[in-house]
Amino acid sequence: MSNSIANETINHSKNKEPFSIVRLLTNTYFLNAVSLIAFFLLWDYVARERIFHDSLARPLEVVDQIVRLTQIKYAGTNLWGHIWASTQRIVIGFFLAAIVAVPLGLFMALNKYVNAIVKPLFDLFKPMPPIAWCTIAVLWFGIGETSKVFIIIIGSFVPCLLNAYNGVRLVDPELYDVIRVLGGSRRDEIFHVCFPASFPAVFAGLQISLSVAWTCVLAAELVNSREGMGFLIKRGMDTHKPELVLGGMLLIAAAAWLTSQLVSLLERKLCPWKRTIDNL
Amino acid sequence: MAYKEVEVKQPLMLTILPYVSIIAFFALWELVVQTGFIPDTLLAAPSTVVKTFIVKLHDINPDGATMGTHAWTSIQEAFLGYALSLLIGIPLGLCMGWFKVVEGLCRPIFELIRPIPPIAWIPLTVFWFGIGLTGKVFIIWIAGIVPCVINSWVGVRMTNPTLIQMARTYGASDWQIFTQLCIPSALPMVFGALQLALTYCWTNLVGAELLAADSGLGYLITMGGRVARPDIVVLGMICVGVSGAIIGFVIDQVEKKLLAGIRR
Amino acid sequence: MNTHNEPILKIRCENVSKTFIQKGNQEVPVIRNVSLDVYENEFLVVLGPGQCGKSTLLKIIAGLEMPDTGFVTLDGEPVTGPGPDRGLVFQSYMLFAWKTVRDNVELGLKLRNVPANERREIAQHYINMVGLQGFEKHYPHQLSGGMKQRVGIARAYANSPKVMLLDEPFGQLDAQTRMFMQKETTRIWEQEKRTVIFVTNNIDEALFLGDRIILMEGKLPGTIKTEYKVDLPRPREHTSMELLQMRAMITDNTELVL
Repeated sequence: MSNSIANETINHSKNKEPFSIVRLLTNTYFLNAVSLIAFFLLWDYVARERIFHDSLARPLEVVDQIVRLTQIKYAGTNLWGHIWASTQRIVIGFFLAAIVAVPLGLFMALNKYVNAIVKPLFDLFKPMPPIAWCTIAVLWFGIGETSKVFIIIIGSFVPCLLNAYNGVRLVDPELYDVIRVLGGSRRDEIFHVCFPASFPAVFAGLQISLSVAWTCVLAAELVNSREGMGFLIKRGMDTHKPELVLGGMLLIAAAAWLTSQLVSLLERKLCPWKRTIDNL
Repeated sequence: MAYKEVEVKQPLMLTILPYVSIIAFFALWELVVQTGFIPDTLLAAPSTVVKTFIVKLHDINPDGATMGTHAWTSIQEAFLGYALSLLIGIPLGLCMGWFKVVEGLCRPIFELIRPIPPIAWIPLTVFWFGIGLTGKVFIIWIAGIVPCVINSWVGVRMTNPTLIQMARTYGASDWQIFTQLCIPSALPMVFGALQLALTYCWTNLVGAELLAADSGLGYLITMGGRVARPDIVVLGMICVGVSGAIIGFVIDQVEKKLLAGIRR
Repeated sequence: MNTHNEPILKIRCENVSKTFIQKGNQEVPVIRNVSLDVYENEFLVVLGPGQCGKSTLLKIIAGLEMPDTGFVTLDGEPVTGPGPDRGLVFQSYMLFAWKTVRDNVELGLKLRNVPANERREIAQHYINMVGLQGFEKHYPHQLSGGMKQRVGIARAYANSPKVMLLDEPFGQLDAQTRMFMQKETTRIWEQEKRTVIFVTNNIDEALFLGDRIILMEGKLPGTIKTEYKVDLPRPREHTSMELLQMRAMITDNTELVL
């Protein structure tokens, strides 16, 4: 009987035990299935019994709402249009931030003088939550695309820069000795050690940035927009349609998850040497 | 060899540059507004922001509350949500790390909810709890619980398996191993979550207040935007940043104290 | 084998001292007044316990640290910094995790702009020499500790240095692998004669490998206590009578607990 991870490490060979109720009850897949089924049944029950009055939709209503959105136009565009509107903002903002922040972070870590100038300003802005920029962004750029992309850039910038910076600073200094002993120059140290060694940290930063970017785009769209997944949620709120709100939440979760998987895939392609370190 | 040479002297330039950079930043900001390069309907000069701050300390116009009230509301919400997420998230994460049944039951739901940005819950919380304290505490709780659970869970999982087997040979029960070995060895990871959860809580608090509130620092920003007063907007942003930094600093000190306590 | 009838001087350390400054301006003298001559194609072992400044001495010879007093010469020229004429093998391997075995070995040649096909040929030669053929496309994390250090040795050799500096290269290996690597080191050294300075804290390893053993004092600041000549033919046996006798002699003269 194994009910904790300690037994898991010891009792590997006993996997061929005869079938028993206890073994079934502690099987991970069985538990996962039970948990998910119970979750949806409970949700359905709570919604059906109107415990939250008309403020919670049943799971099937949500699915139905999403399916309907693929067929009809809602506020000028169908489901794919809304998904694309948000994703487009993310892609533009995220790339602009990454293209500036990652090199700047690397540069700060490599050059003391750049660091002395940029770091204090960066520390000044760092504690300010990106969402706090929403209002001033609207004030500056109006309610169009620019203000939304601006907030995404602000949000993605900080983790990108911070991780690139720390990635270089945490490199084992003895690795530089290797290059020096082999007859390399400062330039070789940067290209053969700094950049590749900071790659995993940079990618971790990109992942964090991406999740912040989704929060930012959502906030911007909730504040003001005419299309996008945040718009669907906001419209659901204004017209009091919980199925639309929940549908929008599911869509944005799926989109955030997918983009983060994409970045992981890119990382595995670009750093094949990191593969097994991750699984430790 | 563990000896490292300490940089004895740093060039004077490097000591001065950070101050120059900060001063230049504020001077430039003041200048672009004063000269009208950026109109004062879009951005307020630092001097104006300071004046507004002093006025707002006792004046409730135009947003209906003084600075102190706004800050107090926000801190109250943040603290309640943060405390709740620690109280529920850490024990849950620890149990998920140790008990297979708890993990099997909680993990799928956790993975389902995790990718939803916390502020996406705002409409539902408004439906369910109105725009008062409860709704915001709920959102902050959702935001803060994720790092708490993950860090505690990973912390328990990272317990040295040899130590667990050692404890087993001494006849320790599962429960004893969990409480006396796994939890203490997970503590550094758990403390790491304190800071992370705070950042998440604070960010999402501002989001929640921007969208659904009747007081609080985020609400101050929104109102500043609505009545076209950039000085109030900037003031709100600075207050959010400064209070976030102060709370972060306090948590950091607490974390250091606690960690030093363990190592001893 | 050991016919140093007219030994040619390769490296000379003259009165080398080094003091590190720790936090709080506390001075830690690490080595003091070390003078040392190393001859061409000699296998010199620097033997000393845990912290006795032997690694620092090696880093000074490598040019990674500058001595406070004294100087180091290589072929009569003063050492002013690291250079490809001295190959260094690190205790913690220091392989580049993001490069394959071949790219790691080729690195020094690449840094000196050797054309690609020539580079590959030389690298292959040394990969074969350390017995890693077939592993050229592996990444370091896919190798065992002994194999990693083989890459480290091949990397240093591929740069064709005049002097090989090895800093406790087998310190992280288990006893079995360690003995095997010692045999391999002898084989490689006989195959490609170089001047070698080998730092270790293991008496058996020192006796098995060295032509000459420099014994360091067991505390800081590091000084040279005495030196031994090991005039035994290779390949040696760890359990041979002569080795055991010398071992007893050295053990009597040290605080090393083995």
